[in-house]
Amino acid sequence: MIPSFLKHTSLICQFELKRFFATRKGLLYMITFAFIWYLILFYPIRFSSDFLGQQQNTPEGNSFFQFIGFGSLLNWRIPELGVYWHFSLVIFPLLTVVTSADQTCSDRNRGTLRFVCLRVSRGSLFFGRFSGIMLTQAILILASLLSTVALIAFRDTTLLSVAFNSASAIFLSLVIALLPFTAMMAALSATVQSARQATSWAILIWTFLAWIISIFSAYLPALNSLKLLIPGYQISNLSQLAEWQTLQLAYIPLLQTIILLSIGRWIIHRQSL
Amino acid sequence: MNAPIIKCHNLSHSYSGKTALSNISFTCESGEPIGLVGPNGAGKSTLLNILCGFMRSVSGDVTLFGHKPGASALSGRVSALPQDAQLDPAFSIGEQLYFYARLQGLSTPQAKHETSRVLEAVALKDVLKEKPSALSHGMAKRAAIAQALIGKPKLILLDEPTAGLDPVNMRKIRTIITELSPVTTFIISSHDLAELGRLCQQILLLDKGIMSTMQLNASENNKPTRFLTLQMEPCSAPDVQAKFNNIAGISRVSNPQKNEFIIEYNPEIQPSMDLTIITCINDNNWQYRQLSQGKTLEEKLFFDGK
Repeated sequence: MIPSFLKHTSLICQFELKRFFATRKGLLYMITFAFIWYLILFYPIRFSSDFLGQQQNTPEGNSFFQFIGFGSLLNWRIPELGVYWHFSLVIFPLLTVVTSADQTCSDRNRGTLRFVCLRVSRGSLFFGRFSGIMLTQAILILASLLSTVALIAFRDTTLLSVAFNSASAIFLSLVIALLPFTAMMAALSATVQSARQATSWAILIWTFLAWIISIFSAYLPALNSLKLLIPGYQISNLSQLAEWQTLQLAYIPLLQTIILLSIGRWIIHRQSL
Repeated sequence: MNAPIIKCHNLSHSYSGKTALSNISFTCESGEPIGLVGPNGAGKSTLLNILCGFMRSVSGDVTLFGHKPGASALSGRVSALPQDAQLDPAFSIGEQLYFYARLQGLSTPQAKHETSRVLEAVALKDVLKEKPSALSHGMAKRAAIAQALIGKPKLILLDEPTAGLDPVNMRKIRTIITELSPVTTFIISSHDLAELGRLCQQILLLDKGIMSTMQLNASENNKPTRFLTLQMEPCSAPDVQAKFNNIAGISRVSNPQKNEFIIEYNPEIQPSMDLTIITCINDNNWQYRQLSQGKTLEEKLFFDGK
C-alpha cells in the first residue's frame, strides 16, 4: 500500500531529524550551538538577571532601561527569561537561516532528490523537510529554554512554576517567529543551486527589499505594508513585548509562512530535478 | 497482448529554444527489456527524466500504467537509475535504502529485509554500513541500481547502467536484468550496443529528438535477404570479398570495419549459408573469430542504408 501524504511527510521529517542529530555535520552544529548558549547563559543571562533584579523597582533603573531601548526587559517577571528572549530573537533567526539554507539545493544538484521523488510527491518532500527543520529548531529552543529554567531554579526554586509559564510563552512565540525564516529558506533552497546562494539571497531580501520598499513608500505610503512580507519584520516590535503578550503579533509570521510555503511549493513543483 | 505500460503521445521538449524531443509518440508493453539508443544529445536522458517525473515536457501526453509521471500511484511500481545521481554522502548505504523502502510503504522489518535483499542482488551486502564516499565508481553504480530494485517494481528505467563499469561488473548488471526480466520490464538507455543486443528485443532509437522503433528479430526474418556478420582474424579484405562473392546466393559482401564483413544473401538459394561460409574459410586456411546471424545492432541502427 502506498503511504499517504502525511505518512511520507512524517518519514521525511524523521529522516531530517536523523540528519541533524545522528550525522557528523549535525553533531558539529549541535556542539557549536551548545557552546554559544553556554556563553550566553553563563555571562549575559546570569549576570544581567542580577543587575536587572536590582534595578527593577527603582525609578532610576526604569528610566535607564527605557533610555537604552531595553525597557521591556523590566516587564518580565523573571529577568533571565527577558534577557533570553532578547538574545533568542536575534540568534535563532540567524541560526535558522544557516541551518535551513540547504533544504533541497545540494540534494537536487547531487541527484539525490531524484531517488526520493521516485517514491514521494514533491509536496511531501518539501513539507517533510520544512517540518524536519522546524522540529529541529523547536528541540533546540526547548533545550536552551530548559537550561535557562534550570539556571533560574538554581537561583531560586520558588520561581520554577512562573519560569515554566513564561518559558512556554517564549517557546511558542519563538517557534512561530522562526516559521517564516524556515519557509523563506525552503523556497530559496528550491530555487538556487547552493546553500551559500540561498543565504546570500536571504540577506539581500532582508536588506535591499526593505530598503527599496522604504524608498518607494516615501512616494506611495501604501507600499510600506509590503514590509509585512519580509520575514522578521515584526521582531523589533516583538522584543518590546513580554511573556504571553508576545503572541499578539503571531499573525504576521503565520501569514508570512503560508505565503512563503505556497511560493516554495509552487517552485518545487515546477523545478526540474 | 499486454497492456501498454508506457504511452507517449506527441511528446516535445526543448531547452532554451533548442529541441530535445520532437513530437515523440510510442508505446511500450511489459515484457522483454527495451533498449533506448541514440547519439549524445539525442534526448535519451530528457525522455527518461520526463518518464520519471523529474521534469515536465513542454507539450504532449505521457502516462505510465495509466498515470502521469511522478504520480503517487507509481511509487513502488516504477523505479529508475537516474544518470549521475548520487546517494546522500551523510548517510550509510543501508540507512538510505531502508529509508527508500519505508517511503515505498514497507514496514520496518520488511524494509530491513528488502535492504539486505537488494544489496545482495548487486553483490554489495558488505557495504551496508558504508557511506557512499567509501565506494568505488562501480560499487556506487551498483548501490544506485540496488535502490531501483527496492520493492520489485514493475518498470525500471536505467540510464547508462553500465557506463564506466569494468567487464565483471557489467556482466553482473546484465545478469540482474536477465534474472528480473520475467517480472520487471526494463528500459535501458545505453551506448553499449553489444550489451543492448544481448538484452533487448525492442530498440527505441532517438536521433535529433525524433524517435523510431525497431523489433530486432522481426526485422531479420521478414526480409527476402538475410545477413551474416563475420569477424575474421587479420586477413586480406579484397581476397575474402572476392571469394565470398563467388558463392551462389551471396548478393553483397561489405567490409565496414577492419576484419569485419557483412554478407547479404538469399536464403532461398542457400538456406545454410553459415555452413557454406565456414567451409569457405576452412578451404582457404583463414581464421575467424565470430560468425553471427544478422547485422550488428550498430549496423542496423546507424548505418543501414547508408
